[in-house]
Amino acid sequence: MAELTLDDVTKVFTEDDGNEITAVDEVSIDIEDGEFLVLVGPSGCGKSTTLRMVAGLETITTGEIRLAGQRINEKPPAGRDIAMVFQSYALYPHMTVRENMSFGLEESTEMSDDEIESTVADTADLMEIEELLDRKPSDLSGGQQQRVALGRAIVRAPEAFLMDEPLSNLDAKLRATMRTELQRIQDNLDVTTVYVTHDQTEAMTMGDRIAILNDGVLQQVGTPLECYHTPNNRFVAGFIGDPSMNFFEMSVDGETLVIDRFEYPLKPAQQDAIRNRSNVVFGIRPEDIRIKEPGGLSDNYQFEVTVDVVEPRGDENTIHLTFDRSVDDPVTFTATVSGLRDISAGDEVTATFPPDSIHLFDTDSGVAVHNRTFNAENATKQIL
Amino acid sequence: MSTETGRAGERTLFGHSLRRLILYLVLLGMGAFYLIPIETGLMTSIISPGTYSGNLPYLPPLEPLVPGTGAFSLEPWRGALDGLGQGLVNSVILVVPATIFSGLLGSMAAFGLTTISWRGQIGIYILFVAGIFIPYQAVLVPLTQFWYNIVPLRSMFEPLAALPLVETYHWKLLALIITHTAYGLPICTLLFRAHYKKLSDEMVEAAQLDGASIATIYRRIILPLSIPMFAVVFIYQFTQIWNDLLFALTIVQFGDAAVVTQDLVGIGVSQSGTNFPLRMAAALLAALPTLLVYIFFGDKFAKGVAA
Repeated sequence: MAELTLDDVTKVFTEDDGNEITAVDEVSIDIEDGEFLVLVGPSGCGKSTTLRMVAGLETITTGEIRLAGQRINEKPPAGRDIAMVFQSYALYPHMTVRENMSFGLEESTEMSDDEIESTVADTADLMEIEELLDRKPSDLSGGQQQRVALGRAIVRAPEAFLMDEPLSNLDAKLRATMRTELQRIQDNLDVTTVYVTHDQTEAMTMGDRIAILNDGVLQQVGTPLECYHTPNNRFVAGFIGDPSMNFFEMSVDGETLVIDRFEYPLKPAQQDAIRNRSNVVFGIRPEDIRIKEPGGLSDNYQFEVTVDVVEPRGDENTIHLTFDRSVDDPVTFTATVSGLRDISAGDEVTATFPPDSIHLFDTDSGVAVHNRTFNAENATKQIL
Repeated sequence: MSTETGRAGERTLFGHSLRRLILYLVLLGMGAFYLIPIETGLMTSIISPGTYSGNLPYLPPLEPLVPGTGAFSLEPWRGALDGLGQGLVNSVILVVPATIFSGLLGSMAAFGLTTISWRGQIGIYILFVAGIFIPYQAVLVPLTQFWYNIVPLRSMFEPLAALPLVETYHWKLLALIITHTAYGLPICTLLFRAHYKKLSDEMVEAAQLDGASIATIYRRIILPLSIPMFAVVFIYQFTQIWNDLLFALTIVQFGDAAVVTQDLVGIGVSQSGTNFPLRMAAALLAALPTLLVYIFFGDKFAKGVAA
């Protein structure tokens, strides 16, 4: 168990024709001892490459990776005391579960056969796979193989776990169960873990902190709630959260924001944030938009809109709204409302964009210039 | 409703059985077509040479019950064993190590060229592929020169001849083993490479992270997963090397080290005529080992081809 540090880590791939592709660009993350860090981003963002560099399966072009303060750039994978769980599980098909789990101990430690036997038995007990020990991987279900792959990593008691989308081959129900189970196990073992996924739900639900990567560049590192409520930029704001945040490209007109369909007045602090800008991207999360019966606009934050499509989800409905259905290119946005509310396509409703909940981003760079009111301590207290 | 279904069922059943019947007849015909030459050879090989007439050679030797079919005798087989004994022993001495070496080295080469990645491996691999296309005829003269004039294998081998069971002429078999191993290596590498490309990269990476060295990964992961492919390669190489005459004629030329294919050429042929029963018995005897290999490893072969 140790802290893991990525210091300006860069990976450049050189193609056969001499083209250089930067897969990971100066990524720096400090992962504390025992922390569960989720590395999340769309496919091709460099998250797996980053993980493979930590594992030693990929060379590091520039930068440094330190485990427990020791530089490990030049160490071979075997010398790093790191265990990895692969998306395909990568079990050895000709070996029984017991042999799969013993292999790493036999190859990397001086343990006696008896010690190995008992260590494997203990881990199998923890993972609830004792009855599978004498079976081969081909006789196991996907979920069982997944547990064995995890067991194989755990049994070695490494300094750090690396997990490369370990749950993505499971069905939705099992994935949800394994998410909680993995968190429980990681919590018990208290081993530094880097978990790679493209699924923002996994990132939000599992990580102590999440690191969001896009195009090889680190966008933000923070607790799930920080990333959700105070995104560094438009990419993070759009990537984290489902359904995604609504964005409107608007022009600044004095104290208000203007777009063809609506005007939005700004508070003084918000005005300060966008001073000297002529354009800004306005963002608001679907669940922050309040929907009520039409008529009686009481303030300037309310708008009359039409329901375009309703997606029922049971607990809540995602509704697609538009300012004007009749035009060819209507401005649409999504809002979530309680699943019990009776709303159907074509209804006229009033939408409120509360001024405390809005985000403002720079149009060109996407950098957040103003985020919603969010107090991390209050938020945490409320959850507890 | 139910009667209609019943009649439809009957018709299907009838159509089914007619098609079955035709299928079985065709299969039976094909079976007979393939088996008659072998059956003829077998029957010929158990006829006493003196009574062999050449008429109806596919009938069992039933004289004096059926005239013209010849009298039963195991004399041709005894003659074949006498004539081919030495050649059979030499062939076994040659084929077993040559098959194992070419398979094992081919598997190792494929592992190094496929599972491990390093600079320049494609260039090396192309050399292997090119090796497959070198015709036997093109290397016959260089081979003779190599083993007789360039490499003093004969003098190097002489001290070994002092060992029990080792004879001086075995140096020729050693030369033949090395030649066949080298010549079989490219195709074996190609076969194993195709197999190894299908193995998961992540599995090899997992083994690396588990602390296994390249040699350990080969021994504990790759080798056990290659068994079906070894069956394919061993059967293929065994048949190839056992049946080879060209390299044997070039390297062994003549003498005590002659292999079974060389002995088979001359057996049963004399100025007084051809001893057909003896030749048939010898041919069957020479073919027997390859047949046994197919019978014993056939199921693994099928598995390996399907893998």
